[in-house]
Amino acid sequence: MGKVKRSSAIVISSSDDEEDKDFILKTNSSYSKSVPVRRTRKRVNRTPLSDSRSRVFHDSNSEGFDVIKRFCEDFDQGFPQFKVSSGSGTNIGLWVDKYKPRSLEELAVQKKKVDEVKTWFEERLRTSVKNSCSNVLLVSGQAGVGKSATVYAVASNLGAQVHEWNTPTPTIWQEHLHNSNSGMRYTSKMDEFESFVERIRKYGLSSMTRTSPSSIILLIDDLPVVNGKFAYGRLRWCLHLLLRSVHLPTALLIYDYGKSDSAEYNTGYWEELQLSLLNAGACKVTFNPITVNSIRRTLSKICRHEQFEVGDEQIDLIAKASGGDIRSAITSLQYFCLKPFRMNSQSLSKSSVTHPEEDMDKNNLLNGGICLPFGRDETLSLFHALGKFLHNKRESGILSEPDRNTILLRDKFVRSPLKMDAPEIVLCQAHGQTRAIADFLHENVLDFVNEDTIDDAWSVSSYLSDADFLLGTLGGTLTRNFEAENVIQSAAASIAVRGVLFGNAHAVTSRWHAIRKPKLWQVEQSLRHNKCQMVSRWNAIHSSLKLCELSVIATEFNPALNWLQYEVPKDGESQQVSTAVHNGEDDYFDNDACDDEIEEW
Amino acid sequence: MLWVDKYRPKSLDKVLVHQDIAENLKKLVMEQDCPHLLFYGPSGSGKKTLIMALLRQMFGASADKVKVENKNWKIDAGTRTIDVELTTLSSTHHVELNPSDAGFQDRYVVQEIIKEMAKNRPIDTKGRKGFKVLVLNEVDKLSREAQHSLRRTMEKYSASCRLILCCNSSSKVTEAVRSRCLNMRINSPTEEEIVKVLEFIGKKEGLQLPPGFASRIAQQSNRSLRRAILSFETCRVQQYPFTSNQAIPPMDWEEYVSEIALSMLKEQSPKRLFEVRGKLYELLVNCIPPDIILKRLLYELLKKLDSELKHEISHWAAYYEHRLRLGQKAIFHLEAFVAKFMSIYKGFLIETFG
Repeated sequence: MGKVKRSSAIVISSSDDEEDKDFILKTNSSYSKSVPVRRTRKRVNRTPLSDSRSRVFHDSNSEGFDVIKRFCEDFDQGFPQFKVSSGSGTNIGLWVDKYKPRSLEELAVQKKKVDEVKTWFEERLRTSVKNSCSNVLLVSGQAGVGKSATVYAVASNLGAQVHEWNTPTPTIWQEHLHNSNSGMRYTSKMDEFESFVERIRKYGLSSMTRTSPSSIILLIDDLPVVNGKFAYGRLRWCLHLLLRSVHLPTALLIYDYGKSDSAEYNTGYWEELQLSLLNAGACKVTFNPITVNSIRRTLSKICRHEQFEVGDEQIDLIAKASGGDIRSAITSLQYFCLKPFRMNSQSLSKSSVTHPEEDMDKNNLLNGGICLPFGRDETLSLFHALGKFLHNKRESGILSEPDRNTILLRDKFVRSPLKMDAPEIVLCQAHGQTRAIADFLHENVLDFVNEDTIDDAWSVSSYLSDADFLLGTLGGTLTRNFEAENVIQSAAASIAVRGVLFGNAHAVTSRWHAIRKPKLWQVEQSLRHNKCQMVSRWNAIHSSLKLCELSVIATEFNPALNWLQYEVPKDGESQQVSTAVHNGEDDYFDNDACDDEIEEW
Repeated sequence: MLWVDKYRPKSLDKVLVHQDIAENLKKLVMEQDCPHLLFYGPSGSGKKTLIMALLRQMFGASADKVKVENKNWKIDAGTRTIDVELTTLSSTHHVELNPSDAGFQDRYVVQEIIKEMAKNRPIDTKGRKGFKVLVLNEVDKLSREAQHSLRRTMEKYSASCRLILCCNSSSKVTEAVRSRCLNMRINSPTEEEIVKVLEFIGKKEGLQLPPGFASRIAQQSNRSLRRAILSFETCRVQQYPFTSNQAIPPMDWEEYVSEIALSMLKEQSPKRLFEVRGKLYELLVNCIPPDIILKRLLYELLKKLDSELKHEISHWAAYYEHRLRLGQKAIFHLEAFVAKFMSIYKGFLIETFG
């Protein structure tokens, strides 16, 4: 740090005083300039005048920000105690920033991965411009596994500077309207990214900084959001250009919206993008979620620093609840320590206070630990949830003795308690659509029904029929009443799931089953196809002008026509079936490729 | 040309079955005007034939000059426009279409088409503003909304157009629509009538019919004239001269259904249920309507069932047929019926044979 000789400082003065505080940093004498920075999203609701001003500024000078941002980081690194004062006047910085790992040792990321990244950068920095083809490193991993932290830490370890592509603040609609009224051209984020890439390719960073180019690492964290094929194609092309011609070692961070929550329908794009970049010669490092142990270690270190005594129990809980996301874990810890009972200095009273809390948490743990106010909600993949429902795991022990106010049930209605959360909760976690869930259950449930119990099979399928009935009422007959539809949807899902759980009274003992994609979808697809084909065939034969009901064609004319071999084009029933089968095969290939994208269908 | 089309009576005078109805219709359109009509009756009973003949009676030969159009309707429905593609068959005097092909957008289609027709009314020879006839097939498959909007448009444009509705079951047509139409029930032809028609065709084609052959075809036709003629022609292609014990080729899907029924009777287990599901899919893929499958399946099962089970099974078939109409995906309900049957039948077997 401190190699920057550039002395120009840029001041944004915003008209709102109270916000200025956010941006002004206390500076150190060696820099002797005031450096107010950090555009935050708060600014979008400022007065239009200053808004347009800063917009101009931003568009023309976005590199300036990067430089300044680095200043800030240097400050942070040099003076860890020296906190940016926040607007409210309290002295609490985010621990996530405060305890940002500054050396490789502090990183909670797997050692191996860090080494991988480090050696990659070392090589690139040593032999700077040699093999331009592999100057890009893809770092993928779910949110909060320390991707950028690793890059920063490695960079500081190697004495390199990180130059980051700063995502421009999103333009909100009013702003856009205002801008276009005042004659400014709107540049999309994609455009900005493109021009950034262009600049980097052509001039490197030399236009922006005077440091020796060998010690700069380019970090592209936030790729512009793309929507639709065209924009995606642009992004891909852009990245390819970057890949081919960038001279700086570049780290490209890619969020891995892992298997767990594939709600984004365009995850396919990202995978494809990664793949194509890999093929073009990029290297890839995948970060796994951080292990509970290392999160625990980090958390307790922070606790020691902050001099909070937090029980191992809680730390453990937080670590587990975070799901490998260290950022959320640290924030949770901070939040946890904010609780009113915390005492800063008196260790005596502190321990006495925390104990009941601990006990409570223990209880929570026993109860399933849902009561924690922090931690990420676990998401389940749809397949996982389906597996739970289909396998129908229940407590094996004796049923609770019939006492108190339990309702007495006939034997055939009694089921052991489920070994899972309430089905509705599981459904929530899996956020699947009711229709898809019903279809999947319908397709797969028969595999899990005991061979001798056709009665069970019936009760399961009758419940599924009920669920379908409920879903069917959605189809247009109701005037669009979304609230009611929601209720019906969830009721149908509940019936389908609980019906499967209840009806399958004699579940087969657990054995491995593949969960198939509903054949129904394929059938519907080929049905549509066949219908079209049948109509066109009908029209071909009967240039005579006659409308005919499809059902009549299918049930009466077609068989007869087949017997009569009354074929204009030679495509009989048999071929129709074969095309149907063919379609199906195509489908299955699709399915193999992206098994997890249930939402697509 | 298929015999079905070739020997379709072109005018009301020439019909062989339902002569009484034809006579009445003729009287009805003497004045070249008529009320709205609703033809209903089972498939293959001659509804369409009567309608075509009626149109011809009304408008003369120009009703025969029809063209098929694949029209794209752009419908402005408040906030968005809806594109509906539909095949129509039209002459200068009438338009025919299957509105239910438009799926759940059928209501827009019905309104829009009637409006459009009302806009350009033909002028007849005497200079009076005439009316157009709109033939709507499969009205029973229209959604409830569509039927309601149909009713309103019927009243509004009754000056400029007449509706001829055609459906299998009038019970699925709303009361309001039914009461605004003259209802014509077209019965299935009796077997004797079918035999008469077949013999007529045989004579025209110059074929030698062995005694009893026509009646056997009639028996197998389920009293559907269309089916009878189709199988008659099929027999002709397969083997001529006819022999009196010649096999009449069955419909392939019906054979398939009876196969399913047999396999259901043979074994009752979830695994078998799964196999049956596969076969049902096969039928559905080939565009056999689910309700027809269910009906046929019940028919095949009843043939082999003990009489004490018949009632219960029929009850459940009716139950699931109802479900099938209300629900979205037919297979769920078909399969539930199959499962229920298996469950009942297995219980019965255990009870009787231990």
